[in-house]
Amino acid sequence: MCFGVAKAQTVSGTVSDSNGPLPGASVVIKGTSNGTQTDFDGNYTLNNVTDGSVMVFSYIGYATQEVSYTGQTTLDVTLQEDAQALDEVVIIGYGQTTVKDATGSVASVTSEDFNGGVIASPEQLIQGKTAGVNIAQNSGEPGAGISVNIRGANSVRANNNPLFVVDGVPLFGQNTDATGTSGRDNDATSATGNPLNFLNPNDIESISILKDASATAIYGSRGANGVVIITTKTGKAGSGGVFEFSSNLSISSHNRQFELLKPNQFLDAITASGGNAANVDFGGGTDWQEVIFRTTTSTTQNLAYSQNYGSGNIRATLGYQKQFGVIEKSDFERISGRVNWNQRFLDDKLKLGIQGTLSRTNRSQPPLQGNAGFAGDILGAAYSANPTIPNNPNIDPGGGLLNPRNYLDGAQNITNTNRALINASLEYEFTPELSAKVNLGYDKSDSENVSVLSSNIINIDGVSNVGAGTFNTLERENQLLEATVNYRKEFENSNLDVLVGYAYQDFRNFGFNSAARGFNTTDLNGMGGALTSTVNAAQNAISGSFQQFYYAPNRDDLTVNRLFPNAETTNQDINFARGVQALVFDNFDNTDELQSFFGRINYTLSNKYIFTATMRADGSSRFGPENQYGYFPSGAFAWQIGEEDFIGDGFSTLKLRLSGGITGNQDGLGFGQFVARQRYSQINLGTIQNGVTIDNENGLAIIATDQPDLRWEETTDFNIGIDFGFNNDRLSGSIDFYRRDTQDILLQTPPAAPSTNPFQFGNVDASVINQGVEFALNYDFIQSEDTTFGASFNIAYNENEINDFAGSINLGPVNGPGLTGAFAQRFEAGVPLFSYYMAIFDGFDGDGNPTYVDIDGNGVGDPDADKTFVDEDGLPDITTGLNLNFSHKNWDVNVFLAGQFGFSVYNNTANALFNAGQLNTSRNITVDALNAGENPSASTAVSTRFLESGDFVRLQNASIGYNVPLSGDGTLKSLRLSVTGQNLFLITDYSGIDPEVTVNTGQLNQAALPSRGIDWTSFPNPRTITFGLNATF
Amino acid sequence: MKRRQVKFYVMTLLSVVGLSSCTDLEIEESDSFIDEGFQGLENTASAVNQMYSGVSRLGDQANIYALREVTSDALLIPTRGADWGDNGRWRKLHQHEWGLEEQDIITPFDNWNASQLAASQILDERSGATPGEAADAYFIRAYSMWSILDLFGQVPIRDTQLPTTAIPEVFTGAAAVDLIIADLDAAILGLPAVAAGNTDAMNRGTQAAARFLKAKVLLNRHIYDAQLTGGGGTPAAADMAEVISLVDAIAAEGYALEADYFNIFRNTSDTETIWWTESGVGNRIWNGLHYNLTTPEQAGGWNGFSTLAEYFDMFEGDPNSNLEGSGQEERRGFVPTEGVAAGAEGTVDDDNDGIADGSNIGFGFLLGQQYGPDGTALEDRQGGPLSFSREFVDGDGAPNLINNSEVTGIRVIKYNPRFGGFTNHSIQFRYADALLMKAEAELRSGTGNATATINELRTVRGVAPIGDLDEAELLEERGKELFVEGWRRNDMIRFGQYLRQWEFKGDTETANDTRLLFPIPLPQLLANPNLQQNPGY
Repeated sequence: MCFGVAKAQTVSGTVSDSNGPLPGASVVIKGTSNGTQTDFDGNYTLNNVTDGSVMVFSYIGYATQEVSYTGQTTLDVTLQEDAQALDEVVIIGYGQTTVKDATGSVASVTSEDFNGGVIASPEQLIQGKTAGVNIAQNSGEPGAGISVNIRGANSVRANNNPLFVVDGVPLFGQNTDATGTSGRDNDATSATGNPLNFLNPNDIESISILKDASATAIYGSRGANGVVIITTKTGKAGSGGVFEFSSNLSISSHNRQFELLKPNQFLDAITASGGNAANVDFGGGTDWQEVIFRTTTSTTQNLAYSQNYGSGNIRATLGYQKQFGVIEKSDFERISGRVNWNQRFLDDKLKLGIQGTLSRTNRSQPPLQGNAGFAGDILGAAYSANPTIPNNPNIDPGGGLLNPRNYLDGAQNITNTNRALINASLEYEFTPELSAKVNLGYDKSDSENVSVLSSNIINIDGVSNVGAGTFNTLERENQLLEATVNYRKEFENSNLDVLVGYAYQDFRNFGFNSAARGFNTTDLNGMGGALTSTVNAAQNAISGSFQQFYYAPNRDDLTVNRLFPNAETTNQDINFARGVQALVFDNFDNTDELQSFFGRINYTLSNKYIFTATMRADGSSRFGPENQYGYFPSGAFAWQIGEEDFIGDGFSTLKLRLSGGITGNQDGLGFGQFVARQRYSQINLGTIQNGVTIDNENGLAIIATDQPDLRWEETTDFNIGIDFGFNNDRLSGSIDFYRRDTQDILLQTPPAAPSTNPFQFGNVDASVINQGVEFALNYDFIQSEDTTFGASFNIAYNENEINDFAGSINLGPVNGPGLTGAFAQRFEAGVPLFSYYMAIFDGFDGDGNPTYVDIDGNGVGDPDADKTFVDEDGLPDITTGLNLNFSHKNWDVNVFLAGQFGFSVYNNTANALFNAGQLNTSRNITVDALNAGENPSASTAVSTRFLESGDFVRLQNASIGYNVPLSGDGTLKSLRLSVTGQNLFLITDYSGIDPEVTVNTGQLNQAALPSRGIDWTSFPNPRTITFGLNATF
Repeated sequence: MKRRQVKFYVMTLLSVVGLSSCTDLEIEESDSFIDEGFQGLENTASAVNQMYSGVSRLGDQANIYALREVTSDALLIPTRGADWGDNGRWRKLHQHEWGLEEQDIITPFDNWNASQLAASQILDERSGATPGEAADAYFIRAYSMWSILDLFGQVPIRDTQLPTTAIPEVFTGAAAVDLIIADLDAAILGLPAVAAGNTDAMNRGTQAAARFLKAKVLLNRHIYDAQLTGGGGTPAAADMAEVISLVDAIAAEGYALEADYFNIFRNTSDTETIWWTESGVGNRIWNGLHYNLTTPEQAGGWNGFSTLAEYFDMFEGDPNSNLEGSGQEERRGFVPTEGVAAGAEGTVDDDNDGIADGSNIGFGFLLGQQYGPDGTALEDRQGGPLSFSREFVDGDGAPNLINNSEVTGIRVIKYNPRFGGFTNHSIQFRYADALLMKAEAELRSGTGNATATINELRTVRGVAPIGDLDEAELLEERGKELFVEGWRRNDMIRFGQYLRQWEFKGDTETANDTRLLFPIPLPQLLANPNLQQNPGY
């Protein structure tokens, strides 16, 4: 009777992964609703299992396993992490999708593909990994900013960096570090810190890059430069918790040096150029490059604990990194802590997520200054210092020049930044179709910079014999409130996914700048202490609110400028200890707001046709009532051609993507530029060269005039892409064509005189067009059990052009002796951004004087009158990366090469320092400059003589790792050892240290356009070897 | 039922979110006063400070100073090896080959128009300035408008009552002069009378300063009248008479010539100073001194600004030496062969070497070997003798503005570092100029005794009286008395000498009357259709 009827049994067992039991994994009998979840210890019990039925074990992030049941009472299963499955998920704005379903141009890089070695900030993790994303580390200074350009540069004055979103919180785009000038120069341009320094790269799970408007328009006014979404790691596996520990030791050195004249060569050259060698011989012999450069050892330690307990998971990490730069006095330290906690309540209908980071970064910077004049900054001084000067801080080189030892010893610039980024989200599933989410974010950074130059420093006006310092603070506070409602419905042949949302974010910036002259001590910490304590004491001595205060020996009182309740200047007795002789102080505090409404509809038909439409309305307090709201729509369509019957099995993937949309930009536009504002003008000690007096009474000034028409910069973007894959995607790739047109460019232009300020922000009639192609290809050459070998290659071509601009603006200041006011680039219609504009060098004449091509046809080639566009620019046309991965058993090898082509670098260093004329001023030059055949009294002007191709290929990263085989029974669950090299070699014809460079050489005029590709003694990128250890237990 | 419940949840959620956060996106007055347009100033006293602070830019060596002096025969900055190439800015000014985008032309147009607007904003009735503050504003507005008129021939005026987007009206020639004169008359009425010698109070407008400027404007009125229409013109007798009476009114307040010429250029009291600005004199001192001419306060000069030998040769004395006591006239100054002992009046000895700091650095025109405090002959940076030459030559010995060595050219120094290398006391108006203006008005109108007036000055300066003054002699006297004080271009134009050839002026630029005015900056032509480019550009 019962013959042939299978017998139902009860099965129990444990589901685990390589780390141990896996709570919350699902166990289901295939084709039935009979199923359960594993408990806290990874155990399950399932009744009514019949012989021959198939048990399905699954867990997010793991390959699903199917087991045919053969009547046993105990069945243990170990799930394997599924890299493929993880790869497929792509985080997009306010949600996620899969590569398969994405309609926009979105790239995602997950932690296993990240770059290794010494990584100070998250962008470096994905440098070169993605086509069309140019991540340039412009300086080898630890903790310095990085420029990220997605599909070229769209904007001019405004920021070209993308919007960064960390766990759903859009960050403010500007730097968070207070910067100091030491009083040497008012607009000294030391590299600003990277705003992402606070994130421990080790905490990052994946980075998504949204490239086209269909993906970024959901971020509306902040999407024009692309969006980078950073998702941090959560606790995903292991009951009882897993500890992960990693430790790195890195050794960095500078790999290229200039070949400068040795002391005897230098003295011979002085004699040969008509000088009196005996009079410039200081009797010593110093290799100044060796004095300021060093080989350093840096360390990173991370400890993470993660636990998944079924109804939620938690991950907590502690990180410590101390990185030393290859120039003396440059270092970066980060102490960070992070907690990610996700909890499900009410039958998993309510989800709570809390992510928090607390970090402290400490940065020390050597005296570098991108706008340094004839004496150079510490690098310029070291490259040009007379090599016969002994390495002694007390020697005056004469002629107003710097002694590098003296300058290095007398300068200190330290920035300490605390930052907290916390967000909490609550998501409730009302029905399987409808859910809503509220996300609250709070981001606060608090930064302090103390920067001093001692009175011992020789030959700096206003500093020598006086001492100077600045103490600046910068606090930024950003609050986010976001609410989204999501409706998903599956129909018979289609899917609908609708998202609507509201977001409010405010951005407050406050802090102060103070500067002092006249110190009683030359101890650098003592100077900093005297400055900060005097600033604090003076602040406490003033009652009521104020904007500014100042005092100096030539004034009896402390003068206080107050704005509220009434603008007035008051004087009061100085009843606090004056640690510095003269002090000026200025407060600032302002808040901008952004309010947004947004929505997205995704509709998928027959799993082949995918439609996406998004819309965002952004309201910003940076614009007046007329233009307060900007509207940013986008639409996209994707067609899974590979799923169509008429495509054979040749393609495993074939997908066409079309998209278009409008995004905006308001970055670079300061607070309140559309109204008239009055405030006390800046008081500068720095303009008064002897530094300890304040003579001019400053007063209330109009700092902004009303500009009711100010509006958004808008980028219209079109993208066509094809994704393809063959042989089960063993060979896969994609190709994208795009065109982006940015209109209503925000620039500072001169208003009609008379005007309060010579420049003010406005939208000019000009557009910047970027168009290009991106191509990415992956191939797995070997896929065997023991051995894998794969390669991925990407290449992007971008073309950039300015259109419709009636006028021209010079940019790209070139600095150095005799180069005041000199520039190398010009903004004009018909050429790319950062196009070089200069005289064309035509060789030396018989006397060794430079000659130039005659452009204006007056018969004389003149470096000033005969300037022209030379058909070169500072933006690479082609960026490319090649990644090779090889593994065999427990060994793995990864090699990553990056290249950039089609751009030029202006070698400001050579223009300023390496020419025969510098011998006249008893400064050292390179052997090449000595042999160039130049007359030592020849003048040097900006010309193509110093313009060089920047094309390069770099072995960016190479690593070898070994996973130590373990029994699995001990405390230690896994152990990995690795060696990583960064910047191992560089192939380039560029004669400077490194062509991947952009030094902020200051402002040529108040239009203050940024420039690219100018190398004025940039901080070299070091070569680094890192030994790493990763363990879990 | 269920659907209704869902709807309820959603509505609740959205309304909570909405109530707590919907914002009007208005910015707050947290660190500045905010208005929808100019509505008057918050504090006029403070704005007057700010206005005068702006005027202190007169200490700059570039911009308006460069336009006034480097475009004349008085100053030039050769390119010394790599030094001072500076994108050709200095060379082009001296050669009269400036183009349409020189920063030294654009910046003064912006700056002095900004000062003019700052004054207008103080004068806007909504600001509620006191009569005294208004008088200061009239004075500075007149000075600003006059500076723009003198250099550019066109003065844009913004009515502060109109919206910021309104296009400013442009005044030229006689109409512009009328505006300036009206402001000066209001200034003379409202400004305080400050007696000669009360120098500390002369960093702001005074009646004497306003009278001085009015005399200057009237003396040049015939030039301004025809500036855009071909030039020429003759001075009106009534204007000349008024110049004379204005100078007499200044003298009546006790202003008089000072016996010790270089004493005028200190921050101490004297009878000549009429108006000084709180501008550091450092640029004037260090822009020409060599890197190895140092004081404990300053790591050395910048080795740029120099003068032509032909300018130096106007003075009485040995053309090949200006050493102390070589028979030159007082105004040519001298090169000391060593410093003076510490303790000399007005000096300091910060390095305690027993020698007054900076006292080895000479006055006036520095030619030939220069000496250190202890009398050692100084060297240049190559180790050669630091000896300034009369001529500008390149490495091949040929006259040249570029490829010069460190020591070519005579250096000019009127403020001396021994009295402070960066003292904030820069003389703008002084009585000797007023007296010379009077002589010129007498000469041009044929009234009074111009020769006697100029001999009054020559006597005090220790040079022989002139027999019968002519125009050329008057210009030369102005050149010798007022060198590097910012008047040379204005004088040369008025005396018809600005278009003559001088050393290194561009070959084709002689007699090019385009150069009488500077070009209107190109972005301004785009921004304000009422402006027209000046003739020839």
